[in-house]
Parts: sequence; C-alpha cells; structure tokens
Amino acid sequence: MTSPAPTPPAATSGDPASGSPASGSAAPSSVVAVPTTAPAGPLAPDAQAALQAALAAEQAAVWAYGLVAAYARDQAAMIAQARSGHLLRRDATTARLIQGGAAAPEPAAAYQISVPVTDAASALALAQDIETDAAAAWRVVIGSTDDAELRGFALTGLSDAAVRLAMWKQVVGTVPSTVPFPGQT
Amino acid sequence: MANAPGAPISRRTLLFGVGGLSAAALLSATGCGYFGSDEPPAPSVVATPAALDPINGLIATTNLHLLRLDAAIAADPTDAPRLTPLRDDRQAQLTALEAEFARMNPSGAAAATSPAVTAPPAATITMPDTPEAIISAVRGDAATAQVQFTDATSSASRYRAALFGSIAAALASHRAVLA
Repeated sequence: MTSPAPTPPAATSGDPASGSPASGSAAPSSVVAVPTTAPAGPLAPDAQAALQAALAAEQAAVWAYGLVAAYARDQAAMIAQARSGHLLRRDATTARLIQGGAAAPEPAAAYQISVPVTDAASALALAQDIETDAAAAWRVVIGSTDDAELRGFALTGLSDAAVRLAMWKQVVGTVPSTVPFPGQT
Repeated sequence: MANAPGAPISRRTLLFGVGGLSAAALLSATGCGYFGSDEPPAPSVVATPAALDPINGLIATTNLHLLRLDAAIAADPTDAPRLTPLRDDRQAQLTALEAEFARMNPSGAAAATSPAVTAPPAATITMPDTPEAIISAVRGDAATAQVQFTDATSSASRYRAALFGSIAAALASHRAVLA
C-alpha cells in the first residue's frame, strides 16, 4: 500500500503473489526441511531478495507512520510505539543483510500511498495497510529460507505486524479484528 | 588390588585392561554382548508413514482448541462476540492444515481424523466457571498453540513454514485481543 515515489516497486507492495512467495512457498515434495542454524551466514539469493523486500516494507512503514501521526493525534501513543517497533526492525534487518553479505538499500525519500490521508479515519486505514504490507513481506521471508534462525527472525516481524494490525482494527471497531493467516493475501 | 590414585599402573593390570577392552570391542563389533545381544528388540507397534507427518500434532491441537472455544462460547455468552471471530480463525486454520495433510498424504488422509489424533467430543470439555477464567483459559490455549506452531516453523518445508508461521502470528494476535 506504500511504495517509493515515483516508481512503486513490487518490493513494498507486500503482495506474496507478486513473485517471491511463489518461489518461497512453492508446493513442496517434502514436509520436513533440514534446518540450518548458523547465524548471520551468507544469504542465499532467494532469502536475500525476500529480506531486502522486508527491509523496504519496514522503511516504508517508518515513513508512513509519520504521516499517520500527523492526522491521528488521539492515537499518538500507539503510533509512537508502532513506529518505534518498525524502526528497530528496520535496523535489525539492515544489520542482518549486511552480515549476510548482501546490500541493504537505502529508504526512498518519499512513498506513494494507495488512498490519500486527509483525516484520522484515513490515517488509521493507512496504519492497517502498513501492517498488512509488513506482515506479507515477513511471511515471504519465512517461505524463502531453510535457515531456522532467519525464519525465527522473520516470524517475529510477522507476529508483531499481526498484533499491530489487530490493535488498529480494534481501535476503529472493525469486526473481526484478527485474520486467520496474517501475511497471506 | 586397585592402584592408589597417582600410583604407576602395573604391567599386569595394563595388559589385563587392554585385553578386556579388546574382547569387549570384538564382541561389540560382532553384535554380541557379555549377556546376550546388544540389538534392541523389534518394536511390536510401528508408526505408519502417515502418522509420522508432524502436522498431525498441529491438527489435533487446533481441533481440541476449536472445541474448547465452542465450549467457552456456550459457557460465556457475554464474551461470545469476542470469541466467535477467534473460533472462525481457528476453524479456517484447521481446514487449511487438513488440506495440507491431505495434499501430502493423499492415501492416508483419514489418519488426520483417526481416533488416535482426534480431540475429545465437545460434551466432555469443561471450562472454568467465571468469564475471566474462561478468557484466561482461551488465551492460554492460544499461547500453547503459538509455541507449537513456532517450533514447527523451524523445521518444516518452506511451504509449510510459511503456513505455520502465519498461524503462529495469528495466535499472537489472538492473545493480544484477549489481553
């Protein structure tokens, strides 16, 4: 829902059907993988691409929450907490990419959003879009690697986004406030 | 006579020890032991390949928690509007898990619903008396399942890891909305 202006790449769309999830979650012939646990090892190409997309989603989230904060002043505490969470995750993801020998792209100067933010309601709708995008990006990371440590790292990002999405839905009174498969579109 | 600690070992003791070890190694290499075979007895009950699928445990847990949610909704009508969407989530997850099991075990799809892994009937499930305790119990179920799905995420195939991870994240959100 948020993409770098003026060229919106698929990396921040958070749509698992847009490419990488297909490779990460393709129908397998085995139910059990042999997990690897070596931390901060070189990243495989598919895991690297998925992690870079997740970083882009976190960078977009940090930027977009600044916009949300400008319009949803009644939710300042929740917004600050959510933005702080995305900041920490953005930095941790950057570090993980660098440790894995991959490039960590810089954030865009600005991002395009799907719906203009003009009031508190549209700002809180954007907050939900932010978390939906982040959840989708982290779900793709889980399905793009056999590294147990990286899967755990991605699962934390996915869970955090799922919890924040549920909290925002509760704030605006959406029922149901949870989804059965966060990150799956 | 045992040697005192630090005392030199006599030549006779050393040779006896080496000889004993050699005999033990020979017996071990041939599959024999001093008191019989070292081979473990053949198990009388062997797991079928379908039962080895680790998704069975996740299906059983989800099925049980679904029934406990049904019991909680029946016992606590005040919180039913809050619990019913969570029950719907768990039902969708159970359906997805059973579909995944059937996909990987086309010939043994019935195993997932066999008596060995099926949760008890709803009539046998009792929930706490107070609404607070019921919500706490449901939240505890979500926490238990979250741990189970998180553990399963680490060693599953990529496809299943994404599915299990997504369910684990949903369970985290269930705990949050019940807090």
